[in-house]
Amino acid sequence: MKGSEQEFLKDLRVLAEDGAGGAPAAVRERLLIEFRRRSAHRRVVARARTAGIAAIAAALLVAWVSGDARHFLTGPHVPAPVVAEATDADFYPLPEAEGLPPIENATVIRVQMPVASLQLMGLAVNEDGAADPVQADILLGQDGLARGVRLVQ
Amino acid sequence: MLESPSHGDDDGLLRLISAGNEAAFLEFYNRHQGSVYRFALQMSGKAEIAEEVTQDVFVAVTKNAKYDRTRGSVLAFLYGISRNLVLRCLEREKPYLTVLDDPDGEYAGGMADEHDLLGELTQNQRIGRLRKAVLALPPVYREVVVLCDLHEIDYAEAAVALGCAIGTIRSRLHRARALLMEKMRAGERCGV
Repeated sequence: MKGSEQEFLKDLRVLAEDGAGGAPAAVRERLLIEFRRRSAHRRVVARARTAGIAAIAAALLVAWVSGDARHFLTGPHVPAPVVAEATDADFYPLPEAEGLPPIENATVIRVQMPVASLQLMGLAVNEDGAADPVQADILLGQDGLARGVRLVQ
Repeated sequence: MLESPSHGDDDGLLRLISAGNEAAFLEFYNRHQGSVYRFALQMSGKAEIAEEVTQDVFVAVTKNAKYDRTRGSVLAFLYGISRNLVLRCLEREKPYLTVLDDPDGEYAGGMADEHDLLGELTQNQRIGRLRKAVLALPPVYREVVVLCDLHEIDYAEAAVALGCAIGTIRSRLHRARALLMEKMRAGERCGV
């Protein structure tokens, strides 16, 4: 090489300027469109989740109130609204139910909720259909706390 | 109230971005896109790959990439993602990639002083040869040259970006420079 190592280093400095103008503006525009699309999608999913949680909460409340009212009016021998015939092995366990005591008397209630709610339960969900409704069975323990979920549809 | 991203550090910007703050995303993009784009261009020698990688890096940042500040700077984190994406692109395009003499000038180097035409030609030839030599290096050597010599990041940051030990960076850089000098000398001898 004619030049010295100093020349080599100088050439590296020049080479370092390649692409100094940064990415073309079109990249920024495409990213902005994608960012807005994702933000809008995230808002829809968040709304769907909220609706799902509300639906589950309402269903649990109804089950609890009706069971309690029956118990109050007609005595303790009246069965709960829907008694589970399935075993808990049919249900996906809920992450929140890990520390709960084992089920002795199970109750199953059927609810309709957005697909996005399944994500909260630790299930993999395709985000494209996150707002679609889905029917699911919720497995409740004797303490009224949800232990698992099973998809009906 | 909308949180203002101005003067925010990278950590703060990333938090705002994950909450869907567009202004924060733009500030983060403007701050780092140059480094990511240059790195991808210098690693691949192709503007299309550099654009694709830049786009994918920032999509990854907004989508699912998790930055852990204990493992290094945001820039090292971005270089790490960029490097994986560039290598994937190069692997995909391996059968088609050739080192060009930049016929369209889209991958142009710096220009010498216009008054010194001969010097300019000589320097441009030398830079062109050096560019080709860098692109012809095996990826493990090319990435350390690009990060340490062209982007001037320190060995520790390069080690984080490339996921290896600082000693490895040092030895690879030493070897890479030796390979480059060798290629440059060989080019001189052949009068290329």
